[in-house]
Amino acid sequence: MSAPTAAPPRARAELSPPNPGRSLRSLALRECRRVTRLWTQTILAPVVASTLFILVFGLSLSSRIESIEGFDYDVFIVPGLIAMAMAQAAFSNNSSTILQARNDRYINDVLASPMHPWQMNLGYAVGGIFRSVAIGVALVALAIPLTGVPVDQPLALLLAVALVITLFGALGVIVGIYAQTFDHHSFINNILILPLTFLGGVFYSINILPSPWEELSHLNPLFYMVNSIRFGFLGESDVSVVLSFGVTAVITVAFVAWSQYLFSSGHKLKP
Amino acid sequence: MVAQATNCTEIGWPRPPPNLWGVLTTSAALSISGLSKTYDDGTVGLADLDLEVPAGEFFGLLGPNGAGKTTLINSVCNLIRTSGGTIDVFGHAHDSMEARRVVGVAEQDPNLDRFLTVEESLVYHGGYFGMSNADAERRAAEMIDVFDLRAKAHVRTPKLSGGMKRRLLLARALLHEPLLVILDEPTAGVDVELRHDLWRYIRRLHEEGTTILLTTHYLEEAESLCEDVALISKGRIVARDTPDGLKERFDATTLEEVYLQTVSTSLPTVMAAETAEAETP
Repeated sequence: MSAPTAAPPRARAELSPPNPGRSLRSLALRECRRVTRLWTQTILAPVVASTLFILVFGLSLSSRIESIEGFDYDVFIVPGLIAMAMAQAAFSNNSSTILQARNDRYINDVLASPMHPWQMNLGYAVGGIFRSVAIGVALVALAIPLTGVPVDQPLALLLAVALVITLFGALGVIVGIYAQTFDHHSFINNILILPLTFLGGVFYSINILPSPWEELSHLNPLFYMVNSIRFGFLGESDVSVVLSFGVTAVITVAFVAWSQYLFSSGHKLKP
Repeated sequence: MVAQATNCTEIGWPRPPPNLWGVLTTSAALSISGLSKTYDDGTVGLADLDLEVPAGEFFGLLGPNGAGKTTLINSVCNLIRTSGGTIDVFGHAHDSMEARRVVGVAEQDPNLDRFLTVEESLVYHGGYFGMSNADAERRAAEMIDVFDLRAKAHVRTPKLSGGMKRRLLLARALLHEPLLVILDEPTAGVDVELRHDLWRYIRRLHEEGTTILLTTHYLEEAESLCEDVALISKGRIVARDTPDGLKERFDATTLEEVYLQTVSTSLPTVMAAETAEAETP
Protein backbone atom coordinates (compact mmCIF):
# COMPACT_ATOMS: atom_id res chain seq x y z
CA MET A 1 0.00 0.00 0.00
CA SER A 2 1.18 3.49 -0.55
CA ALA A 3 1.50 5.48 2.61
CA PRO A 4 -1.38 7.65 3.73
CA THR A 5 -0.10 11.13 3.32
CA ALA A 6 -1.32 13.92 5.50
CA ALA A 7 -3.60 16.37 3.81
CA PRO A 8 -2.08 19.79 3.29
CA PRO A 9 -2.33 21.57 6.62
CA ARG A 10 -5.02 24.21 6.61
CA ALA A 11 -7.23 25.88 9.11
CA ARG A 12 -10.53 24.20 9.83
CA ALA A 13 -12.21 27.58 9.57
CA GLU A 14 -11.93 27.18 5.78
CA LEU A 15 -14.93 24.90 6.01
CA SER A 16 -18.26 26.65 6.04
CA PRO A 17 -19.99 26.51 9.45
CA PRO A 18 -21.99 23.32 10.06
CA ASN A 19 -25.68 23.59 9.29
CA PRO A 20 -28.05 21.20 11.08
CA GLY A 21 -30.46 21.34 8.14
CA ARG A 22 -27.82 19.67 6.01
CA SER A 23 -27.75 16.71 8.38
CA LEU A 24 -31.42 15.98 7.78
CA ARG A 25 -31.01 16.50 4.06
CA SER A 26 -28.06 14.12 3.94
CA LEU A 27 -29.84 11.36 5.85
CA ALA A 28 -32.97 11.77 3.73
CA LEU A 29 -30.92 11.61 0.53
CA ARG A 30 -29.09 8.53 1.79
CA GLU A 31 -32.42 6.81 2.42
CA CYS A 32 -33.69 7.73 -1.05
CA ARG A 33 -30.39 6.52 -2.53
CA ARG A 34 -30.94 3.15 -0.89
CA VAL A 35 -34.41 2.95 -2.46
CA THR A 36 -33.18 3.80 -5.96
CA ARG A 37 -30.16 1.51 -5.66
CA LEU A 38 -32.50 -1.40 -4.95
CA TRP A 39 -35.27 -0.16 -7.27
CA THR A 40 -36.16 -3.57 -8.67
CA GLN A 41 -36.98 -4.79 -5.16
CA THR A 42 -38.26 -1.57 -3.67
CA ILE A 43 -40.35 -0.14 -6.50
CA LEU A 44 -40.69 -2.47 -9.48
CA ALA A 45 -41.74 -5.60 -7.57
CA PRO A 46 -44.63 -4.01 -5.63
CA VAL A 47 -45.84 -2.18 -8.75
CA VAL A 48 -45.89 -5.43 -10.73
CA ALA A 49 -47.64 -7.29 -7.88
CA SER A 50 -50.35 -4.66 -7.48
CA THR A 51 -50.84 -4.40 -11.25
CA LEU A 52 -51.35 -8.16 -11.37
CA PHE A 53 -53.97 -7.84 -8.62
CA ILE A 54 -55.77 -5.20 -10.69
CA LEU A 55 -55.59 -7.33 -13.82
CA VAL A 56 -56.38 -10.72 -12.27
CA PHE A 57 -59.01 -9.73 -9.73
CA GLY A 58 -60.37 -6.62 -11.38
CA LEU A 59 -60.50 -7.29 -15.07
CA SER A 60 -61.22 -11.02 -14.83
CA LEU A 61 -63.92 -10.76 -12.17
CA SER A 62 -65.47 -7.42 -13.04
CA SER A 63 -67.62 -8.99 -15.77
CA ARG A 64 -69.02 -11.48 -13.24
CA ILE A 65 -69.48 -9.14 -10.27
CA GLU A 66 -72.11 -6.49 -10.32
CA SER A 67 -71.03 -3.02 -9.41
CA ILE A 68 -70.17 -2.24 -5.78
CA GLU A 69 -71.44 1.03 -4.35
CA GLY A 70 -72.17 2.11 -7.92
CA PHE A 71 -68.67 1.43 -9.27
CA ASP A 72 -67.37 -1.34 -11.53
CA TYR A 73 -65.48 -3.92 -9.52
CA ASP A 74 -62.13 -3.21 -11.16
CA VAL A 75 -62.54 0.48 -10.33
CA PHE A 76 -63.67 -0.25 -6.78
CA ILE A 77 -60.60 -2.30 -5.83
CA VAL A 78 -57.97 0.08 -7.23
CA PRO A 79 -57.92 2.54 -4.27
CA GLY A 80 -57.56 -0.26 -1.72
CA LEU A 81 -54.81 -1.96 -3.69
CA ILE A 82 -52.89 1.27 -4.04
CA ALA A 83 -53.35 1.99 -0.32
CA MET A 84 -52.10 -1.50 0.54
CA ALA A 85 -49.04 -1.23 -1.71
CA MET A 86 -48.10 2.20 -0.37
CA ALA A 87 -48.63 1.23 3.26
CA GLN A 88 -46.55 -1.92 2.92
CA ALA A 89 -43.79 -0.06 1.12
CA ALA A 90 -43.55 2.64 3.80
CA PHE A 91 -43.49 0.02 6.55
CA SER A 92 -41.07 -2.41 4.91
CA ASN A 93 -38.65 0.28 3.81
CA ASN A 94 -38.25 1.96 7.17
CA SER A 95 -38.27 -1.25 9.14
CA SER A 96 -35.63 -2.92 7.01
CA THR A 97 -33.34 0.10 6.64
CA ILE A 98 -33.17 0.65 10.40
CA LEU A 99 -32.83 -3.03 11.21
CA GLN A 100 -29.93 -3.35 8.74
CA ALA A 101 -28.31 -0.19 10.08
CA ARG A 102 -28.60 -1.55 13.63
CA ASN A 103 -27.35 -5.01 12.74
CA ASP A 104 -24.32 -3.67 10.88
CA ARG A 105 -23.99 -0.82 13.41
CA TYR A 106 -23.56 1.86 10.78
CA ILE A 107 -26.50 3.57 12.47
CA ASN A 108 -23.80 4.73 14.91
CA ASP A 109 -22.61 7.17 12.26
CA VAL A 110 -26.02 8.85 12.50
CA LEU A 111 -26.43 8.52 16.26
CA ALA A 112 -23.02 10.10 16.90
CA SER A 113 -23.59 12.97 14.50
CA PRO A 114 -24.81 16.45 15.49
CA MET A 115 -28.35 15.64 14.48
CA HIS A 116 -31.45 16.26 16.58
CA PRO A 117 -33.59 13.19 17.33
CA TRP A 118 -36.46 14.61 15.28
CA GLN A 119 -34.09 14.96 12.33
CA MET A 120 -33.09 11.31 12.62
CA ASN A 121 -36.73 10.25 12.85
CA LEU A 122 -37.75 12.36 9.89
CA GLY A 123 -34.66 11.49 7.85
CA TYR A 124 -35.34 7.77 8.13
CA ALA A 125 -39.04 8.31 7.42
CA VAL A 126 -38.30 10.10 4.16
CA GLY A 127 -37.03 6.90 2.53
CA GLY A 128 -40.35 5.16 3.12
CA ILE A 129 -42.29 8.20 1.95
CA PHE A 130 -40.20 8.43 -1.22
CA ARG A 131 -40.66 4.75 -1.98
CA SER A 132 -44.41 4.84 -1.29
CA VAL A 133 -44.98 7.89 -3.44
CA ALA A 134 -42.98 6.35 -6.31
CA ILE A 135 -45.11 3.21 -6.12
CA GLY A 136 -48.35 5.19 -5.77
CA VAL A 137 -47.61 7.40 -8.76
CA ALA A 138 -46.67 4.40 -10.90
CA LEU A 139 -49.83 2.52 -9.90
CA VAL A 140 -52.09 5.49 -10.56
CA ALA A 141 -50.44 5.98 -13.93
CA LEU A 142 -51.14 2.32 -14.76
CA ALA A 143 -54.58 2.04 -13.15
CA ILE A 144 -56.17 5.03 -14.87
CA PRO A 145 -55.73 3.68 -18.42
CA LEU A 146 -56.41 0.08 -17.30
CA THR A 147 -59.59 0.71 -15.30
CA GLY A 148 -60.60 4.32 -15.79
CA VAL A 149 -60.56 4.93 -12.01
CA PRO A 150 -61.38 8.58 -11.28
CA VAL A 151 -59.68 10.93 -8.84
CA ASP A 152 -62.80 12.55 -7.46
CA GLN A 153 -61.37 14.34 -4.41
CA PRO A 154 -57.70 15.10 -5.14
CA LEU A 155 -57.06 17.13 -2.00
CA ALA A 156 -58.65 14.49 0.20
CA LEU A 157 -56.60 11.87 -1.62
CA LEU A 158 -53.38 13.76 -0.95
CA LEU A 159 -54.25 14.10 2.73
CA ALA A 160 -55.20 10.44 3.01
CA VAL A 161 -52.01 9.31 1.29
CA ALA A 162 -49.92 11.60 3.51
CA LEU A 163 -51.52 10.17 6.64
CA VAL A 164 -51.25 6.54 5.57
CA ILE A 165 -47.63 6.63 4.50
CA THR A 166 -46.64 8.67 7.57
CA LEU A 167 -48.44 6.18 9.80
CA PHE A 168 -46.88 3.10 8.24
CA GLY A 169 -43.51 4.81 7.92
CA ALA A 170 -43.54 5.50 11.65
CA LEU A 171 -44.65 1.93 12.36
CA GLY A 172 -41.74 0.73 10.23
CA VAL A 173 -39.32 2.86 12.25
CA ILE A 174 -40.71 1.44 15.49
CA VAL A 175 -40.50 -2.17 14.31
CA GLY A 176 -37.03 -1.55 12.88
CA ILE A 177 -35.87 -0.34 16.28
CA TYR A 178 -37.48 -3.13 18.30
CA ALA A 179 -36.87 -6.05 15.91
CA GLN A 180 -33.97 -8.36 16.62
CA THR A 181 -34.18 -10.31 13.36
CA PHE A 182 -35.84 -10.05 9.97
CA ASP A 183 -38.36 -12.63 11.20
CA HIS A 184 -39.82 -9.98 13.49
CA HIS A 185 -40.12 -7.55 10.60
CA SER A 186 -41.76 -10.22 8.40
CA PHE A 187 -44.08 -11.28 11.20
CA ILE A 188 -45.58 -7.80 11.55
CA ASN A 189 -45.91 -7.45 7.80
CA ASN A 190 -47.37 -10.88 7.02
CA ILE A 191 -49.38 -11.60 10.16
CA LEU A 192 -50.63 -8.13 10.98
CA ILE A 193 -50.56 -5.61 8.15
CA LEU A 194 -51.43 -7.81 5.19
CA PRO A 195 -54.44 -9.64 6.76
CA LEU A 196 -55.84 -6.48 8.31
CA THR A 197 -55.54 -4.67 4.99
CA PHE A 198 -57.38 -7.46 3.16
CA LEU A 199 -60.03 -7.51 5.91
CA GLY A 200 -60.23 -3.73 5.75
CA GLY A 201 -62.29 -3.85 2.57
CA VAL A 202 -59.72 -3.75 -0.20
CA PHE A 203 -61.66 -6.24 -2.33
CA TYR A 204 -65.19 -5.66 -1.05
CA SER A 205 -67.47 -3.21 0.68
CA ILE A 206 -68.08 -4.17 4.29
CA ASN A 207 -71.74 -3.28 3.72
CA ILE A 208 -72.17 -6.64 1.99
CA LEU A 209 -70.86 -8.54 5.03
CA PRO A 210 -73.36 -10.26 7.35
CA SER A 211 -73.52 -9.36 11.02
CA PRO A 212 -71.35 -9.57 13.13
CA TRP A 213 -68.55 -9.33 10.51
CA GLU A 214 -69.67 -5.93 9.34
CA GLU A 215 -69.56 -4.58 12.91
CA LEU A 216 -66.25 -6.29 13.63
CA SER A 217 -64.73 -4.68 10.55
CA HIS A 218 -65.22 -1.33 12.24
CA LEU A 219 -62.65 -2.40 14.85
CA ASN A 220 -60.01 -2.80 12.14
CA PRO A 221 -58.01 0.45 11.95
CA LEU A 222 -56.90 -0.32 8.41
CA PHE A 223 -60.53 -0.26 7.31
CA TYR A 224 -60.55 3.51 7.95
CA MET A 225 -57.31 4.03 6.07
CA VAL A 226 -58.56 2.13 3.03
CA ASN A 227 -61.76 4.15 3.12
CA SER A 228 -59.90 7.45 3.40
CA ILE A 229 -58.02 6.69 0.21
CA ARG A 230 -61.11 5.26 -1.48
CA PHE A 231 -62.93 8.50 -0.74
CA GLY A 232 -60.12 10.44 -2.41
CA PHE A 233 -60.43 8.35 -5.58
CA LEU A 234 -64.16 7.62 -5.78
CA GLY A 235 -65.75 10.26 -3.57
CA GLU A 236 -67.50 7.43 -1.70
CA SER A 237 -66.76 5.72 1.60
CA ASP A 238 -68.28 2.89 3.62
CA VAL A 239 -68.27 5.10 6.72
CA SER A 240 -68.21 8.79 7.57
CA VAL A 241 -65.29 10.51 5.90
CA VAL A 242 -64.61 12.52 9.02
CA LEU A 243 -64.44 9.32 11.06
CA SER A 244 -62.10 7.69 8.51
CA PHE A 245 -59.72 10.63 8.49
CA GLY A 246 -60.04 11.14 12.23
CA VAL A 247 -59.15 7.55 13.16
CA THR A 248 -56.28 7.53 10.66
CA ALA A 249 -54.92 10.84 11.96
CA VAL A 250 -55.09 9.77 15.62
CA ILE A 251 -53.19 6.54 14.94
CA THR A 252 -50.67 8.45 12.82
CA VAL A 253 -49.97 10.92 15.61
CA ALA A 254 -49.60 8.08 18.14
CA PHE A 255 -47.10 6.17 16.01
CA VAL A 256 -45.08 9.26 15.12
CA ALA A 257 -44.93 10.17 18.83
CA TRP A 258 -43.77 6.63 19.67
CA SER A 259 -41.03 6.62 17.04
CA GLN A 260 -39.92 10.07 18.17
CA TYR A 261 -39.73 8.86 21.77
CA LEU A 262 -37.43 6.03 20.68
CA PHE A 263 -35.01 8.43 19.01
CA SER A 264 -35.19 10.99 21.81
CA SER A 265 -34.65 8.51 24.62
CA GLY A 266 -32.32 6.14 22.79
CA HIS A 267 -34.49 3.30 24.05
CA LYS A 268 -33.53 0.12 22.13
CA LEU A 269 -31.18 2.16 19.93
CA LYS A 270 -28.49 2.64 22.54
CA PRO A 271 -27.62 0.00 25.14
CA MET B 1 -0.56 20.46 27.81
CA VAL B 2 0.42 24.02 27.39
CA ALA B 3 3.81 22.63 26.51
CA GLN B 4 2.20 20.45 23.92
CA ALA B 5 0.45 23.37 22.34
CA THR B 6 3.70 25.31 22.33
CA ASN B 7 5.46 22.42 20.64
CA CYS B 8 2.91 22.34 17.88
CA THR B 9 3.29 26.03 17.31
CA GLU B 10 7.05 25.72 17.32
CA ILE B 11 7.10 23.11 14.60
CA GLY B 12 4.95 25.31 12.44
CA TRP B 13 1.68 23.42 12.19
CA PRO B 14 -1.40 25.56 12.46
CA ARG B 15 -3.35 25.35 15.69
CA PRO B 16 -7.12 25.25 15.55
CA PRO B 17 -8.73 28.65 15.96
CA PRO B 18 -9.47 29.41 19.64
CA ASN B 19 -13.20 29.35 19.06
CA LEU B 20 -14.43 27.05 16.33
CA TRP B 21 -18.14 27.22 15.61
CA GLY B 22 -18.83 27.97 19.27
CA VAL B 23 -16.48 25.30 20.62
CA LEU B 24 -13.87 26.55 23.04
CA THR B 25 -10.74 24.81 21.86
CA THR B 26 -8.87 26.15 24.86
CA SER B 27 -10.93 23.94 27.23
CA ALA B 28 -9.95 20.40 28.06
CA ALA B 29 -10.73 18.21 25.09
CA LEU B 30 -12.43 15.70 27.31
CA SER B 31 -13.52 16.09 30.89
CA ILE B 32 -15.27 13.15 32.52
CA SER B 33 -16.53 13.14 36.06
CA GLY B 34 -18.13 10.29 38.02
CA LEU B 35 -19.06 8.42 34.87
CA SER B 36 -20.81 5.13 35.42
CA LYS B 37 -22.56 2.68 33.17
CA THR B 38 -24.42 -0.42 34.20
CA TYR B 39 -25.92 -2.44 31.37
CA ASP B 40 -29.43 -3.89 31.50
CA ASP B 41 -28.05 -7.33 32.40
CA GLY B 42 -26.29 -5.88 35.45
CA THR B 43 -22.81 -5.81 33.95
CA VAL B 44 -20.86 -2.82 35.23
CA GLY B 45 -19.12 -1.19 32.27
CA LEU B 46 -17.83 1.92 34.01
CA ALA B 47 -17.65 2.64 37.73
CA ASP B 48 -17.45 6.26 38.84
CA LEU B 49 -14.73 7.06 36.33
CA ASP B 50 -12.95 10.42 36.27
CA LEU B 51 -10.72 11.44 33.40
CA GLU B 52 -9.44 14.64 31.84
CA VAL B 53 -7.69 14.79 28.49
CA PRO B 54 -6.15 18.18 27.72
CA ALA B 55 -6.63 19.71 24.29
CA GLY B 56 -3.97 18.74 21.80
CA GLU B 57 -2.82 15.64 23.67
CA PHE B 58 -2.14 12.19 22.26
CA PHE B 59 -3.81 10.07 24.89
CA GLY B 60 -3.70 6.28 25.17
CA LEU B 61 -6.28 4.16 26.94
CA LEU B 62 -5.09 0.65 27.66
CA GLY B 63 -6.77 -2.29 29.27
CA PRO B 64 -7.82 -5.88 28.73
CA ASN B 65 -10.96 -6.91 26.88
CA GLY B 66 -14.02 -5.99 28.90
CA ALA B 67 -12.17 -3.37 30.95
CA GLY B 68 -14.47 -0.59 29.77
CA LYS B 69 -12.51 1.05 26.93
CA THR B 70 -15.22 0.76 24.32
CA THR B 71 -17.93 1.59 26.84
CA LEU B 72 -16.04 4.78 27.64
CA ILE B 73 -15.68 5.65 23.96
CA ASN B 74 -19.33 4.89 23.25
CA SER B 75 -20.33 7.09 26.18
CA VAL B 76 -18.37 10.02 24.80
CA CYS B 77 -19.85 9.49 21.34
CA ASN B 78 -23.46 9.21 22.52
CA LEU B 79 -23.71 5.60 21.45
CA ILE B 80 -24.81 4.30 24.83
CA ARG B 81 -26.95 5.71 27.62
CA THR B 82 -24.82 6.40 30.65
CA SER B 83 -26.03 5.61 34.18
CA GLY B 84 -24.47 8.63 35.88
CA GLY B 85 -21.79 11.30 35.72
CA THR B 86 -20.96 14.00 33.24
CA ILE B 87 -18.91 14.17 30.06
CA ASP B 88 -17.77 17.48 28.59
CA VAL B 89 -16.10 17.84 25.21
CA PHE B 90 -14.24 21.13 24.84
CA GLY B 91 -16.43 22.58 27.56
CA HIS B 92 -19.74 21.39 26.12
CA ALA B 93 -21.94 18.54 27.31
CA HIS B 94 -21.09 15.51 25.19
CA ASP B 95 -24.64 15.22 23.84
CA SER B 96 -24.79 18.85 22.70
CA MET B 97 -24.58 19.66 19.01
CA GLU B 98 -21.40 21.70 19.64
CA ALA B 99 -19.65 18.70 21.18
CA ARG B 100 -20.85 16.16 18.65
CA ARG B 101 -19.66 18.09 15.64
CA VAL B 102 -16.04 18.15 16.85
CA VAL B 103 -15.72 14.46 17.69
CA GLY B 104 -14.69 11.86 15.13
CA VAL B 105 -14.67 8.18 15.95
CA ALA B 106 -13.28 5.13 14.18
CA GLU B 107 -14.89 2.17 15.87
CA GLN B 108 -13.18 -1.11 16.55
CA ASP B 109 -15.16 -3.17 14.03
CA PRO B 110 -15.83 -1.87 10.54
CA ASN B 111 -19.38 -0.47 10.60
CA LEU B 112 -19.73 0.71 7.05
CA ASP B 113 -22.96 1.37 5.20
CA ARG B 114 -23.40 -1.63 2.94
CA PHE B 115 -25.48 0.26 0.37
CA LEU B 116 -22.96 3.00 -0.29
CA THR B 117 -19.73 3.27 -2.20
CA VAL B 118 -16.53 4.52 -0.59
CA GLU B 119 -17.07 8.03 -1.93
CA GLU B 120 -20.75 8.10 -0.97
CA SER B 121 -19.94 6.89 2.55
CA LEU B 122 -17.68 9.88 3.03
CA VAL B 123 -19.92 12.49 1.41
CA TYR B 124 -23.03 11.40 3.33
CA HIS B 125 -21.02 11.32 6.56
CA GLY B 126 -19.97 14.91 5.90
CA GLY B 127 -23.62 15.79 5.42
CA TYR B 128 -24.59 14.14 8.71
CA PHE B 129 -22.05 16.43 10.37
CA GLY B 130 -23.58 19.52 8.78
CA MET B 131 -21.03 20.09 6.02
CA SER B 132 -22.15 21.66 2.77
CA ASN B 133 -22.21 19.31 -0.19
CA ALA B 134 -19.28 21.14 -1.78
CA ASP B 135 -17.19 20.88 1.40
CA ALA B 136 -18.12 17.23 1.90
CA GLU B 137 -17.21 16.32 -1.68
CA ARG B 138 -13.93 18.21 -1.48
CA ARG B 139 -12.99 16.60 1.82
CA ALA B 140 -14.06 13.18 0.55
CA ALA B 141 -11.74 13.57 -2.44
CA GLU B 142 -8.91 14.59 -0.09
CA MET B 143 -9.48 11.66 2.24
CA ILE B 144 -9.71 9.23 -0.68
CA ASP B 145 -6.30 10.41 -1.85
CA VAL B 146 -4.80 10.51 1.64
CA PHE B 147 -5.85 6.94 2.38
CA ASP B 148 -5.12 5.65 -1.10
CA LEU B 149 -8.72 4.68 -1.79
CA ARG B 150 -8.95 6.25 -5.25
CA ALA B 151 -9.15 2.92 -7.10
CA LYS B 152 -12.02 1.84 -4.87
CA ALA B 153 -13.87 5.16 -4.72
CA HIS B 154 -16.90 3.81 -6.56
CA VAL B 155 -16.88 0.34 -5.02
CA ARG B 156 -19.54 -0.54 -2.48
CA THR B 157 -18.19 -1.12 1.00
CA PRO B 158 -18.96 -4.86 1.37
CA LYS B 159 -16.56 -5.52 -1.52
CA LEU B 160 -13.60 -3.89 0.20
CA SER B 161 -10.80 -5.90 1.79
CA GLY B 162 -10.24 -5.69 5.56
CA GLY B 163 -7.40 -3.21 5.18
CA MET B 164 -9.44 -1.02 2.84
CA LYS B 165 -12.35 -1.02 5.26
CA ARG B 166 -10.00 0.05 8.05
CA ARG B 167 -8.71 2.91 5.94
CA LEU B 168 -12.23 4.00 5.06
CA LEU B 169 -13.18 3.96 8.74
CA LEU B 170 -10.33 6.31 9.51
CA ALA B 171 -11.11 8.51 6.53
CA ARG B 172 -14.71 8.77 7.67
CA ALA B 173 -13.71 9.60 11.24
CA LEU B 174 -11.47 12.42 10.02
CA LEU B 175 -13.63 13.75 7.21
CA HIS B 176 -15.37 16.51 9.16
CA GLU B 177 -12.05 17.66 10.63
CA PRO B 178 -12.83 16.80 14.25
CA LEU B 179 -10.88 18.39 17.08
CA LEU B 180 -11.08 15.18 19.11
CA VAL B 181 -10.41 11.96 17.22
CA ILE B 182 -11.20 8.70 18.97
CA LEU B 183 -9.53 5.63 17.54
CA ASP B 184 -10.71 2.34 18.98
CA GLU B 185 -8.02 -0.18 18.09
CA PRO B 186 -7.46 1.32 14.65
CA THR B 187 -4.66 -1.04 13.73
CA ALA B 188 -6.29 -4.28 14.87
CA GLY B 189 -6.03 -6.88 12.17
CA VAL B 190 -4.06 -4.79 9.69
CA ASP B 191 -0.70 -5.73 8.27
CA VAL B 192 2.52 -4.27 9.60
CA GLU B 193 3.07 -1.98 6.63
CA LEU B 194 -0.35 -0.40 6.85
CA ARG B 195 -0.01 -0.11 10.62
CA HIS B 196 3.17 1.93 10.26
CA ASP B 197 1.56 4.08 7.58
CA LEU B 198 -1.39 4.75 9.82
CA TRP B 199 0.87 5.61 12.73
CA ARG B 200 2.64 8.12 10.53
CA TYR B 201 -0.62 9.70 9.51
CA ILE B 202 -2.02 9.80 13.04
CA ARG B 203 1.20 11.41 14.30
CA ARG B 204 0.93 14.06 11.63
CA LEU B 205 -2.67 14.68 12.55
CA HIS B 206 -1.67 15.16 16.16
CA GLU B 207 1.10 17.54 15.17
CA GLU B 208 -1.53 19.64 13.43
CA GLY B 209 -3.22 20.12 16.81
CA THR B 210 -5.84 17.40 16.89
CA THR B 211 -6.47 15.68 20.20
CA ILE B 212 -6.23 11.91 19.84
CA LEU B 213 -7.70 9.28 22.12
CA LEU B 214 -6.32 5.90 21.16
CA THR B 215 -7.11 2.46 22.47
CA THR B 216 -4.91 -0.39 21.40
CA HIS B 217 -3.74 -3.81 22.40
CA TYR B 218 -0.35 -3.12 20.83
CA LEU B 219 1.49 -1.71 23.82
CA GLU B 220 4.55 -0.73 21.83
CA GLU B 221 2.18 1.32 19.69
CA ALA B 222 0.92 3.20 22.73
CA GLU B 223 4.44 3.62 24.08
CA SER B 224 5.63 5.03 20.81
CA LEU B 225 2.69 7.33 20.05
CA CYS B 226 1.08 8.48 23.28
CA GLU B 227 2.17 11.35 25.50
CA ASP B 228 -0.10 10.25 28.28
CA VAL B 229 -1.45 6.79 29.05
CA ALA B 230 -4.23 5.59 31.33
CA LEU B 231 -4.74 1.98 32.29
CA ILE B 232 -8.32 0.94 32.79
CA SER B 233 -9.61 -2.14 34.58
CA LYS B 234 -13.12 -3.09 35.63
CA GLY B 235 -14.45 0.29 34.57
CA ARG B 236 -11.95 2.35 36.57
CA ILE B 237 -8.73 4.17 35.75
CA VAL B 238 -6.08 2.36 37.81
CA ALA B 239 -3.00 4.27 36.70
CA ARG B 240 -2.21 7.27 34.57
CA ASP B 241 1.00 9.02 33.59
CA THR B 242 3.38 9.48 30.71
CA PRO B 243 4.79 6.18 29.43
CA ASP B 244 8.13 7.02 31.10
CA GLY B 245 6.38 8.06 34.28
CA LEU B 246 4.47 4.80 34.43
CA LYS B 247 7.60 2.75 33.85
CA GLU B 248 9.41 4.63 36.58
CA ARG B 249 6.53 4.32 39.02
CA PHE B 250 6.16 0.57 38.47
CA ASP B 251 9.89 -0.06 38.16
CA ALA B 252 9.39 -1.47 34.67
CA THR B 253 11.42 -1.31 31.50
CA THR B 254 8.46 -1.42 29.12
CA LEU B 255 4.83 -0.40 29.12
CA GLU B 256 3.98 -4.06 28.72
CA GLU B 257 5.44 -4.76 32.15
CA VAL B 258 3.40 -1.94 33.62
CA TYR B 259 0.33 -3.37 31.94
CA LEU B 260 0.97 -6.83 33.33
CA GLN B 261 1.44 -5.44 36.82
CA THR B 262 -1.67 -3.27 36.80
CA VAL B 263 -4.50 -4.51 34.67
CA SER B 264 -3.62 -7.88 33.17
CA THR B 265 -6.09 -10.66 33.82
CA SER B 266 -3.82 -13.33 32.38
CA LEU B 267 -3.45 -16.46 34.49
CA PRO B 268 0.28 -16.12 35.37
CA THR B 269 -0.26 -12.53 36.49
CA VAL B 270 -3.27 -13.41 38.61
CA MET B 271 -1.42 -16.36 40.14
CA ALA B 272 1.60 -14.19 40.89
CA ALA B 273 -0.62 -11.59 42.53
CA GLU B 274 -2.39 -14.24 44.60
CA THR B 275 0.95 -15.74 45.66
CA ALA B 276 2.21 -12.33 46.70
CA GLU B 277 -1.00 -11.72 48.63
CA ALA B 278 -0.68 -15.09 50.41
CA GLU B 279 2.91 -14.35 51.35
CA THR B 280 1.96 -11.02 52.84
CA PRO B 281 2.04 -11.37 56.67
